[in-house]
Order: sequence, then C-alpha cells, then structure tokens
Amino acid sequence: MTEPAVEITGLTKAFSVPFRRGSVVAVRDLNLRVEAGEVYGLLGPNGSGKSTTLKIILGLVSPTRGRSEIFGLASDRVASREAVGFLPESPYFPKYLTGAETLKFYGKLCGLRGSRLKHRVEELLALVGLTNARDRRLSGYSKGMLQRIGLAQALVHDPRLLILDEPTAGVDPAGAREIRDLILGLKQRGITVLLSSHLLEQVQEVCDRVGILADGRLIREGALQELLAVENLTEVVLENASPNLLNEISTLAGKSGARLVEQRKSHTTLEHLFLEATERKASADVAE
Amino acid sequence: MPAPTHRVFSLGRIAAIAANTLTELTRLRVFYALLIFALILIGSSIFMARLTFQQELQVLKDISLGAMSIFTSLLAIVGTARLLPQDIEERTVYTILAKPVARFEYLAGKLCGVLMLLAISVGLMTVLFSIVLFFREQSVLAETTLQMAGLPADQLSEAIRSVRASAFSANLLPGIGAIYLKGCLLASLTLFISTFATSNIFTVVVAMVVYFIGHLQATAREFWLLEQGGGPFSRTFLAVVALLFPDLQLFDLADEAVLGTVIPFALFLKTVALGCFYVVLYLLLAVVVFAGREL
Repeated sequence: MTEPAVEITGLTKAFSVPFRRGSVVAVRDLNLRVEAGEVYGLLGPNGSGKSTTLKIILGLVSPTRGRSEIFGLASDRVASREAVGFLPESPYFPKYLTGAETLKFYGKLCGLRGSRLKHRVEELLALVGLTNARDRRLSGYSKGMLQRIGLAQALVHDPRLLILDEPTAGVDPAGAREIRDLILGLKQRGITVLLSSHLLEQVQEVCDRVGILADGRLIREGALQELLAVENLTEVVLENASPNLLNEISTLAGKSGARLVEQRKSHTTLEHLFLEATERKASADVAE
Repeated sequence: MPAPTHRVFSLGRIAAIAANTLTELTRLRVFYALLIFALILIGSSIFMARLTFQQELQVLKDISLGAMSIFTSLLAIVGTARLLPQDIEERTVYTILAKPVARFEYLAGKLCGVLMLLAISVGLMTVLFSIVLFFREQSVLAETTLQMAGLPADQLSEAIRSVRASAFSANLLPGIGAIYLKGCLLASLTLFISTFATSNIFTVVVAMVVYFIGHLQATAREFWLLEQGGGPFSRTFLAVVALLFPDLQLFDLADEAVLGTVIPFALFLKTVALGCFYVVLYLLLAVVVFAGREL
C-alpha cells in the first residue's frame, strides 16, 4: 500500500476565546486520508473548519488533540513542508515585486539558486501563462493573474502535494476555468491536490474524492461518482430523437416495469454559455 | 521521487527574507526621515554661524549626533512594529511559513532586514553629517586665518589646531557605532513585543515606554540604592529590571565623544557585547513566543 499524501487521525482543534470561559471547537475528531495522486475536495459552508484543517496540515496551527502527517512526516516538522505547496485564500503578495521577482523570492526560500532558480521561474511563468507579464509589478495584475502567480509560487519547489484554499474565490469564470485546467494538468503529472471550496460545481469537475465538513465534523466522504450516483435512476442522452421515438421509449419502459421520470431538452451550463459568448466577442474584436 | 532533504538552519533562507524585508521597508519611504535629518543639520548649521567657532562646531556635533540617535531609534521602532502584523493580516506569512522555513528563520530574516536598513540609514546620516561638518570647518578655518592674520604664527597655528580638534574626528565613530547598536537593540525589542501585541500602536507605545525607562533607569537605580540601601532583595530586583529594560544610557557614547573625550576601545567593545547580548536575548524571546502563536 502506498504512503498517503495526507493522513489525519483523531484531530480536534479548539480555540480559546479571550476574556471568556470555554472555547470554540473548529474541528472535531476528524479522520481524513488523501491518497497520493488524487484530487481531494474538502467541502463545507463558511466556518465549517476547512481552513483550520488545512492550516493544521501545514503546521501553521497546532491541534488540540490528534495528529496530522504529510507523506509520513508529522505536520509540525518543518521538513514536512518540503513536499507541500500552498495557496491561501485571497493571498496578498508584495505589490512592489514583479511576477518573476515574486517567484524568485519563494524559490530562494526553498533553496533554489542560480540557473536552476532562473529556469524554474521561467518554466512556472509559462505554465501559468504569465510569461508576458513577468516584468510587470503585481500592483498591475488582475485578480485571476494574482491567483495564477499564487499557484506558481506554490509549485516553485516542485511539491508532491498541493494545498489550495478556495483557489477560485473572487476570480471570474474565465480565470476559474484556467485554474481548473491547471489543476487537471497537475493531476496528470501525478501531483496530489487537496482543495477546499464551497463552489460545488467546480469541485465536481476536478475532484476524484470529496469530504463534506459541517460544524467541524466530516459528515460525508467518498469517491465523487459514487456519492453522486442515484442507484435507481439511469440517464439516456439521445441526439436527433424524433417525438415518435421518445413515445416508443416511454411505452417500452412502462411495459418493462420501469417509469420514465423526466424527459427534457439537454442544457448547457451557464459557465459554458458565458465563456462561449465572451470568447466569441474577443475573437470578433481581434478580427476587426 | 527522492525523500526530501531539509536543513534545519539555512542562511540562504534568512538572507532571502532579510533582502525582501529591506526592499519592503525602503518602498515605505522611511528614508524621508533622513530628509528631515538633513534639514535639521543644515538648519542648525546656518543658525550656529552666529556663535563662536568652537561653540559652533561643538553644538553642531551635539545636535547632529542627538538627531541621529533619535532618528535611528524611531526608525528601528516604527519600521519593525508593522512587519509581523502586516504579514499576518495580508496572509503573506502563510505563503512563507508553508515553505520549508522555520519560524526562527522567518523572525531572524525580518530582524536582519531592519538591521540592514538601520546600517544604511546611519551610514548615510554619517556621510551627510561629515560633509556639513567639513564645510563648516573650512569656513571657520578661513575666518580664523583672516581674523588672526596679524598675530604671531604660533598663536595662529594653535587656533587652527583647536578648530581642527573641534571638527570631525575618528573618535566620533565609536559613538556613532553605539547609536547603531542602540537602534539594533530597539528593533529586536520591538520585534519581540510585536509577537504578542494585538496592534501596531500597542507595539510602538510599549517600545517607546521601554525606550524612556531605558534612558531613565540608571538615574533611578542610583537613587534607589541611595534611599533603600544595597540589600540582596534590592539588588536582585534591580538586576531583573536591568535585564528586561536595558540601560540605554550606556549606548550614549557619542555624548562623551562630542566633548572630545577619547572613548577607550575596551569600553566600546563592552558596549558592542552588551548590544549584541540584548539583540540575541530579545530575538530568542520573540522566537519562543512566536513558536506557540496560532496563525
């Protein structure tokens, strides 16, 4: 059995409240395992304990009880961070630095130097599509560009595990799609991704497994396809079906003891519609 | 993939954080403080022209080194107070500490960045001070030569020697070094306070209180010992106070240097050792507090 990327056992975190008795429990007796190579989505409403869990995994917050490990190393050991890249929710990077300088700074923190660092910076700028903006100060970056430079700094030391806290928060649909595509690309390269989000549709598109947190407890967990499948319902999607054919199918279903629950036109998603419209407009502007 | 190798302590990581902190501080235009220093220097130089030449150079040195001491201390406190809270508020600290960076490396890097800024500031102020002093010295020498043109040569050379002795001398350098050390001590102290402070204002106010206690405690101690006697309780209490609140008067070597007193090398070394001790002590205290802080 391969070593899990993240293993959390019996984790509880209680924060004391200043000038009051008692404490606020953010995470309660959590057990979680993220396998190497998978994309795991940690879902939950605001205040459900997602960010606290991620911070404990990264050693930024110490647990009240229980333990957390990254590839077998305890999270409170600095060495465990050699294998992790992290993008916090709405990160702030020094606005006076350019994109390339930002990546150089984080690269140096990870022990990269000289030509190796230079090469890695160029590679990452190309990966996140910011080569043309490499010498522009971050004060001139859009929200989506900042999120992409954030993703690049998380990847600077080529980590085996990437932790993303609300990676598409505040990003427009085009930017969100770029980040989603990057995550899928990283998965193909064998990088484990653990992400927290409350944007369910995006999670559904990229995650292999999900865990749902509520009030600090893991209330559901499993492979996405298994969790979403409805046992006694089956979908059939037809192209160019005539009304007669549809009537026949309905009759046939009735004869075999089944029931046609719903018959409707297939829909595109609002995101797809938005992207198609904006891309068509951009193409028309370029043509003019 | 090979197992990650991690070095517990890395000067490279500290240097990267220090360089970034220095850039951050210089972008905040803290060097405007140096502009005010220059204005005080030039303004006082014009005003001093009304005094006798010996008084002029003496008072100019006194005011300049006093201003240098105050600006360095203010720069140390104000520049350091905002570093940690801002990184936490803007979540930059998460991206840094999520890398294989130990918390003590992060704090040491931040402090080194401030110490570099202070070194540059003190260096620039010293250069500025030397230039103004040099020009005033030349002006005074010209006036003296003109006024004493009819007097015997030995009297003239004695007067010129006296003017030169009142101008810039290498003896001022240990005094300026002690000003820098005091700035380093205050920066380290402020960093320590900011590890548990709830706001920038709190950090600045507490650091300023320690600054004033530090300057007054030697006098208070002498008074206490005179009134209460030197019993073991009193001595222990005073030792604890001295440990927590450094005697900042010990760093005012420049006062002696301005008067022309030669600062013994042993005294300067003792001051350097004391400054380094406090810088390390407060940094260690900051590391202990910050290690347990929830981010």
